[in-house]
Amino acid sequence: MKALLLTLFAALALGLAAPAWGTTAIEQAQLAELDRLRAEVAGQVQLSAYDLIDELVYGWVTEPVFAAPTPVVVVGVTVPVGLGTGLQALVENHLAAVLAENPTSNIQLAHCPACTAVVVHAGPEGTIVSRGMDDPAVLESIGADTGRHALFIDVEAEGAWLVLRARITRLTPDLPIVWSHTIASSSSTPPLLRQPNDLKSAAEARQEYIDALHDRGSLAIPVRFVVRSYKAPADRGGVPPPPFLWLQSGVELGANDSLAWTSSILVGYSFIPQAYQGLMGQARISRLLTGRTRSLLRPDIYAFVGAAAISVWGPATGSFRDQKLNADEIIRDSAGEGPRTTFGALQLGLDLRLGNRIGLSTFLEAVPVLRNSRNLGSYIQVGSIGFQTWGTEVTVCF
Amino acid sequence: MEWYFLISLALLPFVFGPDPAPGLRRTRAESRNLICERVTPQTAAQRYPGEIAPARPRGDYVERSVVVCNERVMRPGLRKAQDEAILSSLQELTSGLVATAHAMRPDLADKTWLVETHLTSGPVAAKVAFAVKNDLVLRGLAVSDRTPILGFGDVDVITRLEPEQAYAMACKRYFATGSLGPDHALLAIANLDPRETILHAGICADGRWEWVR
Repeated sequence: MKALLLTLFAALALGLAAPAWGTTAIEQAQLAELDRLRAEVAGQVQLSAYDLIDELVYGWVTEPVFAAPTPVVVVGVTVPVGLGTGLQALVENHLAAVLAENPTSNIQLAHCPACTAVVVHAGPEGTIVSRGMDDPAVLESIGADTGRHALFIDVEAEGAWLVLRARITRLTPDLPIVWSHTIASSSSTPPLLRQPNDLKSAAEARQEYIDALHDRGSLAIPVRFVVRSYKAPADRGGVPPPPFLWLQSGVELGANDSLAWTSSILVGYSFIPQAYQGLMGQARISRLLTGRTRSLLRPDIYAFVGAAAISVWGPATGSFRDQKLNADEIIRDSAGEGPRTTFGALQLGLDLRLGNRIGLSTFLEAVPVLRNSRNLGSYIQVGSIGFQTWGTEVTVCF
Repeated sequence: MEWYFLISLALLPFVFGPDPAPGLRRTRAESRNLICERVTPQTAAQRYPGEIAPARPRGDYVERSVVVCNERVMRPGLRKAQDEAILSSLQELTSGLVATAHAMRPDLADKTWLVETHLTSGPVAAKVAFAVKNDLVLRGLAVSDRTPILGFGDVDVITRLEPEQAYAMACKRYFATGSLGPDHALLAIANLDPRETILHAGICADGRWEWVR
């Protein structure tokens, strides 16, 4: 009977010890989603936590806590409540790596199993279960060569701030705190990603960032490869021009360092043997859509409007004339130099910029003088304005 | 067709606007996740060089201010509501408690301070203790990492008392057993009700207990 009761009790205890068994599929899905979100946040927090550790060690390098190299035991590294121990291990490893690269911090990591292990001490006052460093009797037994100071580090998410707190405690029975420090970083502050062997202060890194902004400059020389395609007429009665290939270059000027507004003036040349040649001039104004400043790290999108003056000649440019072509005209054009046409165009488009070097853009172009041409259709018609041209561009800036 | 195009163009500034209010580009949940503050153009230009233009030397033609919004590091729902309420304003809470304690008992400035926390959540209690110790050190006080200890008999009796009596009794016992000497002062932080999100604090010195808040 007693054995049966014990078995039932053990089964009940086992059941209570594993509450996940009783969860429904929806609860399990919710828990899995929470775990996924926590992992995502931990990934976002990791670099900022590294940044704070770098700042902490940089502080020790510039203003050492100890006059000479001193063994210190890392007793506790804690991360924001809700994030896992994986992040804790990463932060601890990063601390060790940065300290190893910076011996002038005078912090020498030491191993002290007796400090961190849970110990049971029985004395006349009672039995105490605690960490070694919380037990005066254990501290008295620690030799000087195993480390006489303990380092505690805590990283916590406080609203929009990631806060790092650190303190160093002398491992004597009184456990006096000999040093403490608090550093915070806003969630919108990008990590500095400092090299462990070349730490910089936040002020120095900020100055480098400003210098990078200034070095980027507001003037660039773009070289652009453009393909213009012309819409065939809806009634298929005329012959649309062939796609035109252009090589353009000029200057691009930003209104200020943020490059939120830019303007450009370019000239271009087009040449396909036996088909056509062309010259053009173009001016554009662009407005940044993704943020207030062009990012040094991520792609940005600009919207632009512009105007162009285009002059083309050659056998393949007959379609720019305002009348319907027939076969005889095409044969006659191909025999000689061919027609020459000059027209103006209005542009509207989007430009994807990668850093300060590469651009990919697409635009629609309206040619008002050819709005009634039988050789051209419209990709989009806005009122009386038809956009007959669709262009794509690849830009490299110098 | 053209009307749709023109209406879309007119709506473009609202779609890509920097306003933190919810809209087509930002959901309500995302807007709630923002913490915003209004700062002067000078402060904003210093914090965000290249993004915010500083005020002109002879002043701007219009009065400008900048609203800076940052996302919360931890998204809502990832932690218990009570933990989040305490942790999201941890520095503010602990600084306030330490400032009040220091102002109430300036005579304890030469003592060594110990810190004890009694909160519903163990990890949150450790965070609060860490922050309080750092704040005490920041104020130039001597602080110890030692934890005062009571015997099993004391704990057995004290845990049966109401909080108001329990803390006073624990203070007396700390002093009587020598765990807390005449050179020590204890700052205890506690949740008196497991549902509340504010922190209470009391000081134990020379065997006398006094509530700070």
